[in-house]
Amino acid sequence: MVKLKDIVKIVRSKNAGPFKLTIDLFFDDKDKYLLVKNSKTITKRKIAKIYRIPEENVEGIFFVDNVLGIKITIIKKTASDEIYATDVYGAQQHIPIMDLTIQP
Amino acid sequence: MFILDEIRIYDATTHVGYGFPKESLEQALKWEPHAIVAQGTSTDPGPFYLGSGTSYTEDANVKRDLKLIISSAKSLGIPFICSVGGAGADIHVEKVLKLVDEISREENLKLRIAVVSGEIDKHWLKGKITSGVLTRKLVNVERFNETLTIKDVDDSIRIVAQMGYEPIVKALDMGVDGVLTGRALDLSLIAALPLKYGFDKGLTFHMAKILECGALAAEPGSGSDGMFGILRKDCFHVKPPSPLRRCTIASVAAHSFYERDNPYMENLPDGYLDVASANYTQLDEKTVTISGSKFIPSGEYWIKLEGVKLVGYRTICIAGVRDPTIISKIDEIIDGVKNLGFKVFKDAGLRLNEDYTVVFRVYGKDGVMGETEPKRGLKAKEICIIIDVVAKEQNIANSICAFLRSSFLHFGFEGRKTTAGNLAFPFSPSDIPVGPVYIFNIWHKIRLENPYEPFKIRVIEFPAKMVREVYG
Repeated sequence: MVKLKDIVKIVRSKNAGPFKLTIDLFFDDKDKYLLVKNSKTITKRKIAKIYRIPEENVEGIFFVDNVLGIKITIIKKTASDEIYATDVYGAQQHIPIMDLTIQP
Repeated sequence: MFILDEIRIYDATTHVGYGFPKESLEQALKWEPHAIVAQGTSTDPGPFYLGSGTSYTEDANVKRDLKLIISSAKSLGIPFICSVGGAGADIHVEKVLKLVDEISREENLKLRIAVVSGEIDKHWLKGKITSGVLTRKLVNVERFNETLTIKDVDDSIRIVAQMGYEPIVKALDMGVDGVLTGRALDLSLIAALPLKYGFDKGLTFHMAKILECGALAAEPGSGSDGMFGILRKDCFHVKPPSPLRRCTIASVAAHSFYERDNPYMENLPDGYLDVASANYTQLDEKTVTISGSKFIPSGEYWIKLEGVKLVGYRTICIAGVRDPTIISKIDEIIDGVKNLGFKVFKDAGLRLNEDYTVVFRVYGKDGVMGETEPKRGLKAKEICIIIDVVAKEQNIANSICAFLRSSFLHFGFEGRKTTAGNLAFPFSPSDIPVGPVYIFNIWHKIRLENPYEPFKIRVIEFPAKMVREVYG
């Protein structure tokens, strides 16, 4: 059992347009990448729960083997241009992903 | 048509006005590009700039970048192709044209430039809606109507569209030194010349996708440096001119993640780019060769529209709190202050959430992530509070913010010992009128029969003889 933040090289969040948030994970080691990919920890259901959105608003989870990268894209609960927005560029919304526990 | 075996494009920077090293441009020129390109429009900074008609880049920086790009292209006898003006409506482009006029005078350059407008005429758009042309919202967000309405168009302050490469090719064919556009699809700028010469659409758009952010696809990446692309019939090469950077398979492939919702595909007006089957090889120390990317046509042509409307005017107050009793009761105190205010504002005839909104932003307590914060609650010894008011008029926002601030400062609560004041203001004046607040109200696509139709092209000669005449 290991925390994602302890094995990931880069974990970042950013807007993909004002209405979507995309979270990128990159690994410097194929074993670590495969550990996360094969653990099936990152699912639409879990992401929906973390970001308090309906599962259908988790647009995609992509495992890109050739760059040891994982991309998660959601439709934001609060869009960047709303009065209640807290993070216009979405650059600080990756924290709950960092803290995910990976169980092989 | 003149047949080219290879076409070389230099993308000078991530964004016009973000700068680039002159040495990179000089190196790139030695590689003999057929065009110098840079993008200068975006919605990333939010709806404010489209609404206000202002730019998020500084004139001096835009002028510096354009001066280098335009004078280099002119000296080589190759075209420059740049989108300009940030949000990319006509009001933004006109300001950049003034800078171009200054450049032409200062550098003694005679320029003939095709200017392609990215702004959508409201009458044209309403005519399309009335005649039943298909529109569709681009994202599953409730505030947007499924299809565009006349009211959406009337509500919006101005509307722009992301033009495809076709109007840019048309502009290039007008016997000009270069093309400047308003809002455009970033990939269109890079793809225009290769597609004019009949290069493969899949390879062209994939090269455009890597080049569009300049050196961001290099290692180390940079938002203020260029990237060079060499397109052949069956593959393309990318390499940064800077000696400090290189392209690696990882840096190029990872770039397909950056600010994109899908690492494998990119939507385009008449189909999509599929890079899932692309092959990447390291050609030499700093060059990556790519092949196998595909363009999948849809048989239809859709362009993306962006429009904003005014929601109100904002006033904020920033304050700190250090007293532990106040911090421990912060939610209760904020509720008390709000209720006090809401009653007073109601008596003044103001409707909450209709005429004004109030948000208390508490940093030190879930300020960044709100309800998605995994470690909710308070642990800080000091907190920052931003009183954030948006109202239908600036003076109403000012007075609501002032009332909430003074009520908070002297608010009485159970166990209060610090009766001289509850807040520490870092600034005087404590309240800051921020100005108008906008929101996107059009985020739709519209189906076109003709990719050129809404994009007006003007040919302008610089130095402009009668500046007033040209700029209206």
